[in-house]
Amino acid sequence: MMTRDMQIAADAALWVNRLDQPAIDTSASAAFDAWMAADARHRENFADLQALWHSDTLLQALEQSEAAVAKGEAPVALAARLSGWRRSAPWLAVAASAAMLFVAMPDLDVDTYRTGTGNGRTIVLADGSHVDLSGNAELSVRILPWRREVTLARGEAFFDVAHERWRPFQVHSGSTSVRVLGTAFNVDRQSATRTAVEVYRGAVTLEAPRAEDIVLHKGDRARVVDDRIAAQTPNPDANAAGHDRPDWTAGWFEAADVPMSVLIAKVQRYSVRPIRLRDPRLAALPVSGRFQVSDPARVLAAIRGAYALEVRYDRDAIRIAPSAAVPAS
Amino acid sequence: MPVSLPQIDEQPGAAPEDWEAITAALSRYVRARTSRSDQVEDVVQETLSRLVEQSRQQTLVSIYALGFRIAANLLVDHHRRDRRYSNEPMMEQISEAPLPDRVITGRQELSALTDALAAMPPLRREVIVRRRLRGESCAAIARDLVLSLKAVEKHITRGLADLHRAMAGRDE
Repeated sequence: MMTRDMQIAADAALWVNRLDQPAIDTSASAAFDAWMAADARHRENFADLQALWHSDTLLQALEQSEAAVAKGEAPVALAARLSGWRRSAPWLAVAASAAMLFVAMPDLDVDTYRTGTGNGRTIVLADGSHVDLSGNAELSVRILPWRREVTLARGEAFFDVAHERWRPFQVHSGSTSVRVLGTAFNVDRQSATRTAVEVYRGAVTLEAPRAEDIVLHKGDRARVVDDRIAAQTPNPDANAAGHDRPDWTAGWFEAADVPMSVLIAKVQRYSVRPIRLRDPRLAALPVSGRFQVSDPARVLAAIRGAYALEVRYDRDAIRIAPSAAVPAS
Repeated sequence: MPVSLPQIDEQPGAAPEDWEAITAALSRYVRARTSRSDQVEDVVQETLSRLVEQSRQQTLVSIYALGFRIAANLLVDHHRRDRRYSNEPMMEQISEAPLPDRVITGRQELSALTDALAAMPPLRREVIVRRRLRGESCAAIARDLVLSLKAVEKHITRGLADLHRAMAGRDE
C-alpha cells in the first residue's frame, strides 16, 4: 500500500522526469500546472525533487558511481542485473550486447534544437558547454570523441564552451565557421550569406571561403558577408562589468549600421504575427541604435518615427512601408 | 525575507495566477540549489519578473514549468558570474573550474547520494545514470535496456525517491 505522502512524492518525481524533455505537449503542461496548483505539498515535493535532480552534487555522485562501475565492478553489476531480469536467452544476448555497446561507443546522433517565436532557450550540451539560443532559431549539435560540431541554420546563439585541450569546438553558420577550444562568443546568422561574430572571453578563429582566417580576441567583432570577412571596431564596453554576454539574451539588439531587414528579423523572434517589409529598398536601409527587440511594438514605433515609415497592424501580418508617399500633414 | 509579489494587470478571460504559491515553490527550489543565501531573493525576484513579462506577451502553456526553467537558467548565470569575478584573469582555466556550489557542497551530501546509488538495484542505477548524467531520452533507454517506457519511468521515479530519502535521512 502506498501512503498519501509516498503517492505525492512519486507524482512529483514523475513530473520532474516529464519536464526534463526537449518538449512537453500542451495537455501535459496544463495537467502539470493543475497538479501544482492543487496542493502546497505537491509544490514542496516538486521543488525539492527538482532541486535534487538538477543538483551538481547528484551529477558528482553519478560520475563517481560510473567510475566505480568502469573500474571493474562492472561484471558483477551486469551479472546481477541479468539474473534479475528473468528474460529468455535471446533477449539476454541482445540486452547484454546493447549494454556493452553503449559503454564502448559514443553517441553519434545529431541533436537538433528549434525554437519558436519569443521562446529562446538555454541548452547544456553533452560536453558541458552552454548555448543560449534566440527565438526562431535552429541549431544542430554533434559531439564526437575527437570533435565538437554545431551548425546554426538560423537565428542567433551565444556559446559558453567548455574548455577541452584536445577537442576543438566548431560552429558552422552558412559558409562561415568559428573554431575554438574553450571560450564564450556570439554567432548571429543574420541572413543566408551574412553572419556576425563577437567574442566575450578567450579567442576564436574565424574562417570564411574567400578570406584568410583571422583570430578574434575578447571584445573583437567581425562580420562575414558573402564569404568575405570584415573586422569591426572592437566593442568599447568589452571590459565593462556585466559585459559577459550579448545584449540579445536580455532582449536587446545594438544595431551599428545594419540593414533594416536584420533588425526586423530580430524583432520577428518576439512577434507572433509575421512582419513584412513592403518595399525591398527598405530591407537594405541602414539602421543604427539600441533596440529592445523583445518589445516589438516599441521598436516599430521607434523606427516609424526615425525613418518615416508607415506601420500597419493587419490581422495576418504587420506591414511596414515607406510613408514618403503620404504628404505630411 | 520578503519577496515582493509582481503586480500584473489581469487580462480578461485569463485564469488568475496564484503568484504567492508560485513564489513559494520557486523560493524553495532556489534555496535548495544555491549555497549563496544572498542570491536567493535576487534569483526568485528576477524569475518572477521574467515570468510576468512572458505571460504578458503570450499565453503560457505552463507557468510553473517555465518558472522553474527560468530559475534554473538564472542560477547557472549567477554561478558563471561569480566564477568570473573571483578568479578570472585569463580565459582557458575558467571553464574547468567547478561551480561554487560544487566546491562548497558538504561531503556528507555527496556520500549520502553515492551510498544510495550503490544500494540501488543495478538496473535502476543504470537508468538514472543514463537519464541524468548522459541526458538520454526515456525512449532510448527503454530501447537499449529492453524495457517498457513505463518501466523506465518507474525506475526513475523510484530512484529519485531513494535519493531524496537518503538526503532527508542525512539531515536527521
